[in-house]
This record gives sequence, structure tokens and C-alpha cells, in this order.
Amino acid sequence: MKVLLRSVRIIDKASPLHGQVKDLLLENGILTQIGDGLAADGAEVREGNGLCVSAGWIDMRVASRDPGYEHKESIESVQEAAARGGFTEIVLLPNSRPVVDSKDTLNYVRKGSNGGPVVLHAAAAVTKGTDGVDFTDMIDLHTSGAVAFTDGEHPIQNADILLKALLYLSPLNALLMNRAEDKQLTLFGQMHEGVSSTLLGLKGMPALAEEMMLSRDLKLLEYALEKSTTPDTGLPLLHVSLVSTARAVELIREAKAKGLPVSCDMAAHQLAFEDKDLMDFDTNLKVNPPFRSEADAQAVRQALADGTIDAVVSDHSPHDEESKNLEFDHADFGITGLETAFALTQMHSGLGLEALIEKLTSRPRQILRLPQVTLEEGKPANLTFFRPDAEWTFVRTYSKSKNTPFLGKVLRGRVCGVVNQGGFRWFE
Amino acid sequence: MAQLSVRHLLGIKNLTENDIQTILDTATQFKEVINRPIKKVPSLRDITIANVFFENSTRTRLSFELAEKRLSADVINFSASGSSVKKGETLLDTVNNILAMKVDMIVMRHSSPGAPHYLSSRIPANVVNAGDGTHEHPTQALLDAFSMREKLGNLAGKKIAIIGDILHSRVALSNIFCLQKLGAEVMVCGPTTLIPKYIGELGVKIGHNVREALQWCDVANVLRIQLERQQIKYFPSLREYSLYFGITKQMLDEVNKEIVLMHPGPINRGVELSSDAADSQHSIILNQVENGVAVRMAVLYLLAQQ
Repeated sequence: MKVLLRSVRIIDKASPLHGQVKDLLLENGILTQIGDGLAADGAEVREGNGLCVSAGWIDMRVASRDPGYEHKESIESVQEAAARGGFTEIVLLPNSRPVVDSKDTLNYVRKGSNGGPVVLHAAAAVTKGTDGVDFTDMIDLHTSGAVAFTDGEHPIQNADILLKALLYLSPLNALLMNRAEDKQLTLFGQMHEGVSSTLLGLKGMPALAEEMMLSRDLKLLEYALEKSTTPDTGLPLLHVSLVSTARAVELIREAKAKGLPVSCDMAAHQLAFEDKDLMDFDTNLKVNPPFRSEADAQAVRQALADGTIDAVVSDHSPHDEESKNLEFDHADFGITGLETAFALTQMHSGLGLEALIEKLTSRPRQILRLPQVTLEEGKPANLTFFRPDAEWTFVRTYSKSKNTPFLGKVLRGRVCGVVNQGGFRWFE
Repeated sequence: MAQLSVRHLLGIKNLTENDIQTILDTATQFKEVINRPIKKVPSLRDITIANVFFENSTRTRLSFELAEKRLSADVINFSASGSSVKKGETLLDTVNNILAMKVDMIVMRHSSPGAPHYLSSRIPANVVNAGDGTHEHPTQALLDAFSMREKLGNLAGKKIAIIGDILHSRVALSNIFCLQKLGAEVMVCGPTTLIPKYIGELGVKIGHNVREALQWCDVANVLRIQLERQQIKYFPSLREYSLYFGITKQMLDEVNKEIVLMHPGPINRGVELSSDAADSQHSIILNQVENGVAVRMAVLYLLAQQ
């Protein structure tokens, strides 16, 4: 397979060609030439017209449904949705059935990518069954290739469990990812607590539940590292998933200023809605963390811009119709996000393209201790092609699930193709 | 002929002031009808109405059924316990099965906020919300407003205190929307744990002292209290509640002014209301029940014209 991509703008701060418009020649997954006016010479040709290329994108948070819930999403369908969304690497949460808490399930997930353009990384559970009680064999799982540790959709409630996990993982230079939510304060909660939840008669999930748990998590991190003899790698030990409130980003900002090894991400869809958008009881807007207030949304945007928020994730959470086409309080939380994450960030974050791409590429790779990817002649290509200003209508999803409020909507920022592990896909 | 701006009665939030006045005026006519020797009119002779109750209810269901029968509608009743929908058939399937038998209107009570809204966008029939979880109970608010208006005249500028569990009350929320649209002033009063944190932003006064609330108001609308909701405790005991938030006849007499006492029922005698208060001359609780039939007749009649 030989493909010539003409007049492509390179978005890659690590490359000397950053910002330049070049022709790229791909042969069997290798980026053989970068130059001007390259001859087609038998290659398939794709024309530029505003086409951009960057290192392949990575998504730090994709809910895994396989094994156990293949009717919602399978290993195959999640890769297709990821590729369509421009992601060449995704981190799957351990919340399958069985949970990724042993080498067996870890290997099942990791081997699922099968040479396609999407690499599957497995985050292993911190506790068996993500029950928050007994630890998994973390060193063994780490050695076997777990990219990070998290109980995923089940935020760790027990302070001692989190503390011990941090202590145990720190000499391994492994990452613990946790979403901050005090489950007692959000019990039976359906949406952000505010005027809108009051008007709708829905039980609120106060911002406090996220903020209080986050302050606890940060204190535990600080305590775990006091008197630590582990050398400082400069890499985060705790990664906070899906921050969503003004005070939460402020807490992370303060922690980073103190030098704590912490990083965080946010969900792309969090940029698109606020709590007041739930007035029609649309279960496709039922997410956790919930859509917050306008002030929270502004603070989160600011935190993205100033680097407090390191990465943008899709928080892809597929659900079948039977879990979503229901009364609001019976419906499950979550939105499928892989295919729309880039467009939503492009449309709603206010970030420049360069900064946005960093949050989908180099920064998450650094946090996950994965090798950086750059455009280099003669090297295997791991690239995403996209048109940042192209408008498109999201008419068909390649996820097995359809729980997204964006189907049928016009979005800006279109993914054109991906190449990775020798696999090349083009979607135009 | 007077018409409503809506096809369904989902909540008071969706009604205009004009809609509310239209319903109340129509109810006045129906109240006259149900006090005649022949209490029945043929208005909905060709209409079939299903009362679909996914939550226990006695008075609301009876009141709707009677309203439907007084209007000569054909009536069927469906009851299912709380969460059976989650386990078995979906709400939509249940209702579509009923509609397949050529039913024109659905009156539904459901424990999930927004359930009637969900339904109304997916079925062709008119939907009347007979209470959706902790969200709205529009016909209760309308009959409350009707009963207040009957007693006090125009409600503009009148002061109404809603006392009790505001947090879990669909009656409170619908009453707030309704009374504000009619120009009344509203106070909510109860233990802090039963007052929603953001309720003040709806433009209501907030109180925690029942005597002060009684002193302030023209009407005290007292809500039913439950010790536990979904295994969450909100106050220490019913004993303590009745001692510090319960209303007695003596308290009503002491305010030294005309005061109207209301309760949507069922009353926990000796908890939120003492028996002597509930049965006192201040109470219009049984008038509320009577007016409920007239108001529901008005709602069904007006929606059937849409």
C-alpha cells in the first residue's frame, strides 16, 4: 500500500517541520518521504485542501464493554469508532465483566488490537472486581503491561485503599487514575445540583462531592510522598479523571504549584453542555460527572488554556437503547464520545489547534509513560489526518451504541484518516 | 371557546397564567355541575382515558376516575407497584399496549421525575401528569389554587406558606410555580435538611420557624412528612418533627387573624398536623378534595378539545 498525501500542514511541535505544508508519502505504514512536490509514482493520492496531520491521537479514558457487555461495544467496534474519531491509541477502563484485575483479562484486552490502526492499552483495576476492598496483584499486572491503575467507573471511596495504592505504585513509576466523587453525597443523584435540578425535581449531585473527594485525594498523595525515598521522575503519580468544577480545577492548580505529581483530564462533551440544558429530561445528557454550571464551564475552559488540565478524553461510555431510552432516573450515565471528541474540543474549548493537539497526543503519552510519537522520515507512521475547519454532519456512528446527543448535528473539525501499526484508514 | 396553550398537562411550569385562569374558571362551572342532582355531563362521551398508576395513590386516582366518569368518558385503570417497570416491561411498552386498545388520554403517576415528559414526546395520546416523583403534581397545585381562590378571591399579593418536606415534594414545586404565576407570595418552611439548597433562586422566601411562617401567611399549605426517603434520613424522629414543626389548633388560634389551613393528604395525624388543627374551622382540607374533582374535570375537558 502506497499513499501520497499532498499539501498537508504538519502540527507537531517536536518536529522541525511544525507548521509547514508538505507532501507525505506512506508506504506499508512507513512514512518514507516528507517533501515538496513529491511524485505520485503509482501511489494513491489524497489532496490537501486544509488537511492537517499530527501524531496519532490517544484517548486516556474509554469504557470497556468487552468482555461481558459486547452488545454495547465490542473490541472490534470500539476500534472502529476510535479510528473514526482519529484515535490511534486508546486506554480501556477495567470495568468489563470480568473486570481487568488479572493477567487473563489484561491480555484479552491488549491483544484485541490485532494489528489494526488502533492500539488498545489496558488500565488494570486497583481493587479486585473494582469493589474497593482487596488489591489486585499490581506489580504483576504492571509487569504484564497495564498502562495505568484505576477502578475506572467506580471512584475509590476508601481513603486507606487509595493511600496504600499510591504508596505501592510509586516505586514502580506507575500511574493511578481516579475520578473524584464522594458517593455518599451523590447517592441517587441524577444531575448537577443547582437551580436546574431544583426545577426538574431531580436529586442533585453537588459540586462539593467532587471537590471534597479531590482535596482528600490530593492530601493522600501529599502524605504518600512525604519521606518517600523513590526518586522523583517528574511524572504524575495520581491522574485525576474528568474534572468538572471550578473549585476542582483550582485545587489541581494549587497542587501543581506546590509541586505535587498530579495531572488531570476532562471529557470533551463537558465543554458542550451545562446543567440548564437538561430541561427536557434527555437521557443522552445524563453523564457523570454531570454537566455543571456556567461558572464551572468557564473555569474549566480557563484551566484547559493555562495547562492545569493536561488532557482531553472522550470518556466514551456506550450504552444500549434499553439502558438509555427510559425514565431519566432509570437511565445509565454516559455518552459515546470517541467520534465527536475532537470536534467538540475544536468547537467549544477555545484552544488553539496546536494546544488542542498537545492535549490529545504528547501530554497524555507523557502522563501514561508511553513513547512519544513524531513525524520522521523512515519511521513507522502513527498519525492522524484531519480538517480542523471542515463542517460535517454526524449521521452515522460506528459504535455499537447510539447514546450521544450529537447524532444528526453539524460539527466542526473532521477526522479524515489514521495510520498506525501498518494499518491505513481513510474516511473521506 | 377558551383553549389551553398545551396538548399535555405535564407541569405547571409549562402553563401560562392564562392557561391557569382558564382551567380555574372552567372548574368553577364543573363544580356547579357536580353539585347538581344529576352530576354527569356528556362532554367526553367519545373519549377513553387510562389511569396508569405506577405508584400508590388513593385520592388522586379516585378523584381522576370520578372526574372522568362525571364527564362520561370511558375509563380503564392500570396499577403497578413502584419499580416493576425497571424489572420487566418498559414504561413505553406498557403504555403503547394500553394505547393499542384505542385509548385517547393517559393520566399517569410515576415515581420518576420527567416520566410524563418522556412519554408525551413518544406517544400520540394526551398525557396528564398525576405526579412524577419529586418533580410536579400539577392538578394538585391547580386544585389548591382553586380552593384558595374560592376562599380568598384573587390570589395576587396573597401570602402562602408551604410547610414541611419541600425537598421531596412535587406538590411544593407545582404550588410554587402556580402561585407565583397567579401573583401570590410564597414561603417555604421546614427543617433545613428538607429545603432544597437552591430553592431561594425560584423567588420564594425561606423559613425554618413554623410559628413565624403562620404569622406571616394567609394560607398554610402543610405537606406530608416521611421519616425516610430511599433509606436516607433527613431528620431525627417523627416525635421531634411534630414537636418543633408540627401545627396545632392552638398555634393557628394564636396568630390572631384569618388563616386558612390546607393539606394535600394523606395526613399523618399527630405528626405534621394535630387532629384538632386538621378538623378546625381554619381547615379547608375536605374542600380541597371536593374541588379536586372539578379541577380535574376542567383539565380533562380542556385537553380533550386540543
